[in-house]
Amino acid sequence: MNRMLTLNIFRYNPLDPDSTPRMQTFTVQEYDSMTLFIALTQIRDEKDPTLKVDFCCRAGICGSCAMVINGRPGLACHTQTKDLPAEITLHPLPFFQLLGDLSVDTGSWFRKTGLQIEAWCHSDDKAFDPTAEEMRMDNDLANEIFELDRCIECGCCMAACGTARMRTDFLGAVSIMRVARFYLDPRDKRSEDDYYEVIGNDQGVFGCMGLLACEDVCPKGIPLQDQLGIMRRMMAMHSVKGVLPRPLIETIKKKGCCHAHAQS
Amino acid sequence: MQIHHTDVLCIGAGLAGERVAVEAAMAGLNTIMLSLVPPRRSHSSAAQGGMQAALGNAIMGDGDSPDVHFADTVKGSDWGCDQEVARIFADTAPIVMREVAHWGVPWNRVVPGKHTYYKGGKPFEAEEKAEKAGLIHARAFGGTAKWRTCYTADGTGRSVLNTLDTKCLQYGVTVHDRMQAEALIHDGETCLGCIARCLRTGELVAYLATSTLIATGGYGRIYKATTNAVICDGGGQIIALDTGLVPMGNMEAVQFHPTGTVPTDILVTEGCRGDGGTLLDVNLYRFMPDYEPDKSELASRDVVSRRMTEHMRKGLGVKSPYGDHLWLDIRHLGEKHITTKLREVYDICTNFLGVNPIHQLIPVRPTHHYSMGGVRTNRDGAAYGLKGLFSAGESACWDMHGFNRLGGNSLAETVVAGRYIGKRMVEYTKGATPSFGMQYVDDAHKKVQERITDIVTGRKGKENAFKIRDEMHDIMMECVGIFRNGKDLQKAVNKLEELYDRSQKICLSSTCKGMNPELSTALRIRGMVKLAQCTAYGALMRTESRGAHTREDFPERNDKDWLNRTLAYWKEGASMPTLEYEEASPYYELPPGDRGYGGGVTIPNELPPEKFVIPEAAKENLKKAKL
Amino acid sequence: MNASTITLHVPQRSKIAGRMDFFQMASGVLLILFLWAHMLLVSSVILSPSLMNGIAWFFEATYMAQIGGPAIFVLMVVHFILAARKMPFKQDEWKTFRVHARMLQHKDTTMWLVQVISAILILVLGAVHMFVVLTDLPITAAKSAARIQSGWLYLYLVLLPMAELHVGVGFYRIGVKYGFVGRSKRKWFQKTENVMMIGFITIGLLTLVRFMLLNIQG
Ligand SMILES: Cc1cc2nc3c(=O)[nH]c(=O)nc-3n(C[C@H](O)[C@H](O)[C@H](O)COP(=O)(O)OP(=O)(O)OC[C@H]3O[C@@H](n4cnc5c(N)ncnc54)[C@H](O)[C@@H]3O)c2cc1C
Ligand code: HEM
Ligand code: HEM
Ligand code: SF4
Ligand code: F3S
Ligand code: FES
Repeated sequence: MNRMLTLNIFRYNPLDPDSTPRMQTFTVQEYDSMTLFIALTQIRDEKDPTLKVDFCCRAGICGSCAMVINGRPGLACHTQTKDLPAEITLHPLPFFQLLGDLSVDTGSWFRKTGLQIEAWCHSDDKAFDPTAEEMRMDNDLANEIFELDRCIECGCCMAACGTARMRTDFLGAVSIMRVARFYLDPRDKRSEDDYYEVIGNDQGVFGCMGLLACEDVCPKGIPLQDQLGIMRRMMAMHSVKGVLPRPLIETIKKKGCCHAHAQS
Repeated sequence: MQIHHTDVLCIGAGLAGERVAVEAAMAGLNTIMLSLVPPRRSHSSAAQGGMQAALGNAIMGDGDSPDVHFADTVKGSDWGCDQEVARIFADTAPIVMREVAHWGVPWNRVVPGKHTYYKGGKPFEAEEKAEKAGLIHARAFGGTAKWRTCYTADGTGRSVLNTLDTKCLQYGVTVHDRMQAEALIHDGETCLGCIARCLRTGELVAYLATSTLIATGGYGRIYKATTNAVICDGGGQIIALDTGLVPMGNMEAVQFHPTGTVPTDILVTEGCRGDGGTLLDVNLYRFMPDYEPDKSELASRDVVSRRMTEHMRKGLGVKSPYGDHLWLDIRHLGEKHITTKLREVYDICTNFLGVNPIHQLIPVRPTHHYSMGGVRTNRDGAAYGLKGLFSAGESACWDMHGFNRLGGNSLAETVVAGRYIGKRMVEYTKGATPSFGMQYVDDAHKKVQERITDIVTGRKGKENAFKIRDEMHDIMMECVGIFRNGKDLQKAVNKLEELYDRSQKICLSSTCKGMNPELSTALRIRGMVKLAQCTAYGALMRTESRGAHTREDFPERNDKDWLNRTLAYWKEGASMPTLEYEEASPYYELPPGDRGYGGGVTIPNELPPEKFVIPEAAKENLKKAKL
Repeated sequence: MNASTITLHVPQRSKIAGRMDFFQMASGVLLILFLWAHMLLVSSVILSPSLMNGIAWFFEATYMAQIGGPAIFVLMVVHFILAARKMPFKQDEWKTFRVHARMLQHKDTTMWLVQVISAILILVLGAVHMFVVLTDLPITAAKSAARIQSGWLYLYLVLLPMAELHVGVGFYRIGVKYGFVGRSKRKWFQKTENVMMIGFITIGLLTLVRFMLLNIQG
């Protein structure tokens, strides 16, 4: 079924004052097991070497090549053309700063946000003893933490989130999930109060409106929905301590999905 | 031109670069890290399998120790490695694994009780010890006597890179991503930093640093079929080689991985075989035990790759439009195992190949995977030829891998070397009194600017960069692959010489204001041809077979003449590299001997007895390294 | 930052955001419970007008209608104030969201737009409805039927689906936002919610039909 594919690609070079946003059409012969990575590389090698598009691992593990594919954010290298109609429309990810054509600056945003939520294990690094055994950890907990460490910072979840599109200071599902990762980790010595300070606001966990597009587009299948729910419940319950009776708070905390190993 | 000043400049933000940056920043030094991509996109993130360190917690790693790890590493290297370095590595690896655990890596842990593991496709039971509960677990990898590969499911590179990156954030390492180093700034003796090209705007930027680290990873893209990322173009090695002063070590030592998938060349981890996956031929026959009765699929990579190629040459490969391949079978591991411990493999198969590995076979063939060679450094990571220049990780030839690195040893190398070399860099930086002569900055800047102008205007010629790249790919695949011989290598050398000449005359086929992606390729090709030539020429001259370097016309390992390391220099204005040789190791804690797999004949070397004595200085240094 | 501005940057350890979010959720839950109870009252007319009268009388006699009515109104206002923080009142926000929803073609995202639009309609129509009913107590099946037959039907034909949609989606969203419904239960919950929504609208329509057919004279 060797189709002729038509790719409508967004073109714009913000560094060129003469450039205006437009769509450009390329045709490519389809092969077996063809991915958008192969198609776009072909276009760049053979038709238009100025096409800006980011690829790195071409194996769906680095997160470079996220773009909007027929209206949906996804990884180009991870998308097989056989799963798409013969006419394919490609846009750069919204939300992030456009560098040109299909290339956007996710790196700066993730770094800035990482600093904002203090995305590191708050422990005493100086206390590391090279001669001592490592801290023991339950394997299930390790797996649970790794599950959240699998995020490749592709930015699809941000681009798909209507809240983020409206309110550009929204930290997004990925940041809240990232905080959940540290919240789970016994090596991080932060208290609930500390976590509340970084995401307990309308830019953080309370900004999310439960649109769940993040969950639905995440190419790595990170459990964003569950983490958003858990963190919101934990943070909200933390805020009403003293307002609501304690037993009620405890019951609500334990309802629904929760961290099997959550800190007390 | 914008100029940045810093104490430590890390070119490259993979595991090696980040580990050094963390060390420098924790020591209070001002640190800037450059990268082509945001740090977490570095190719280290793609490493799935794990890192070797002799922790000995797993029951199958019981009795393991740095000594055993050291011996495995030296054997794996086919005695081509620097044994002092291999020793530092093996002894400090456990410390480094615990350190990153302290920082947040969610290593898989020992779960006490009976477990079913696989070896050679057959299940067996083993009981993990209760007293080891919760300590870092390990899995099997090829070429090792014990199970010692620490892992986090199959995203080891990802999770360790994430953790190091969080520490870079915490300690205030300045990251300049989309910044491509184009030339080193140096005064002939000392490295002063680099000129980089901003991949956002296309502008040139100068970085002046007391010490500079090259940690730019491998250069697999000189081959067409490689598991390496598209950014693994050897940028770091190129700028070092371009100085004419810094040599590349052992460039002919190139590793092919047994299980690159067809047609996309994406790697599926060695963990597949470690966990019990088997290799089948066109008749669905498991052939590895015939060649390697002992280790079968788990012999070291060079051996398995060669055996696979040998088997396919007998006509027993599976024919496909993309060429011959073999099958990898992991079906017997079961759905649960495949979708949890090997999930990334499962994803790759379903998403990129359209194969469901729970029920179907995975098409695989040996594919270029790792470059043992790189910027030659001494024990402390200091590059030969320029003071203040260091290198670590895959970009370096620190040389613990010799002619073949073991699976799990390179990822471990990045952090182990990063820690050790990071400390040496901190010492150096704190002791140095740099003087930055602006004329050297201008020189370097002018050189880069002129090349850009050459390429943009086409005043030197009208060669097309993509075409030269493709021709380089073809000749490397055809003549400098797994099996090598004098005739083919000579052909490759001649062709690459021609390509080098043409690569001086590249002209862009497009124009674009600001950052032109074609220019990035065009700027890199000349250097890539140089690296390819160092590889081909080194391989041509090395008339023996050692580790991954296999000469059909010289099948024996020749310790008498070749127990040494190739140093390739590219002198200013030359059209070919100049090769020099140095001893493989300052001393031989483990005397050259038989690897125990792979077969082959060795022509022995009569080493003087003092070569088998560990010098006191080395012992002292090792003690320091463990602090 | 210098000494003169530092006072503006003292970290605020305020818990107000969390509380607002919690009470937005709580107000939603209470309103849902109310609307279900309200449905029971009104649709009891399907079984028999006197049953409805009985229930109405019970509420009246216990003063629940007199106090509860205005209380519900207050609750609605509170809910409005809390939820309105999320509403795209700015023109470009509204436009961005609409364009986004059209691009994404994603159910949950589109449903949020439905929730916002229905909210505005409820605000207006619901307030009118409550005013009319509460200023003309006691509630009897006959009075209700008379109102509906005199043209209020059209208001209810809009208000009914709007209220049910808003409540249905809101119910689902509370489950999701507060993690009561995890990834594994999402499909099931969506289906349940749809069934409930359709069910309530059907009962509502039947109620309206019953009111239309009710003999006001009798
Ligand atoms: C698919 C795959 C799987 C692997 N699995 C394993 C495994 O299981 N176990 C194991 O031990 N090893 C494994 N390896 C090998 C191992 O991953 C690599 O050797 C190691 O990650 C290299 O790390 P690094 O820090 O040296 O370089 P990289 O992680 O490659 O980082 C290079 C950095 O340099 C930057 N850079 C490059 N050029 C320039 C330039 N010109 N200017 C500025 N910056 C530049 C890049 O942006 C990047 O940040 C695997 C390799 C591959 C390809
Ligand atoms: C007065 C008019 C009303 C307005 C303007 C309004 C507005 C809103 C808005 C904008 C939301 C979405 C909030 C978010 O996504 O974060 C919402 C949620 C909700 N509304 Fe309303 N609403 C109104 C009346 C009602 C009524 C009468 C009910 C029930 C009978 C109700 C039940 C709910 C529920 C259950 C939610 C979900 C709560 C949550 O997400 O926290 N609303 N409302
Ligand atoms: C305390 C306040 C309220 C009282 C006492 C009340 C009472 C009633 C009564 C008596 C009816 C029958 C029709 C009529 O008499 O006109 C009715 C119908 C209706 N009410 Fe209310 N109501 C209240 C609040 C609300 C609110 C807040 C909403 C919407 C969010 C609402 C939505 C409706 C709808 C949709 C109907 C039509 C019923 C159907 O078709 O089943 N009411 N209400
Ligand atoms: S959470 Fe998923 S979609 Fe979001 S950045 Fe991470 S991998 Fe991408
Ligand atoms: S799409 Fe956005 S609103 Fe919340 S559930 Fe996901 S972050
Ligand atoms: S290129 Fe790495 S995810 Fe697509």
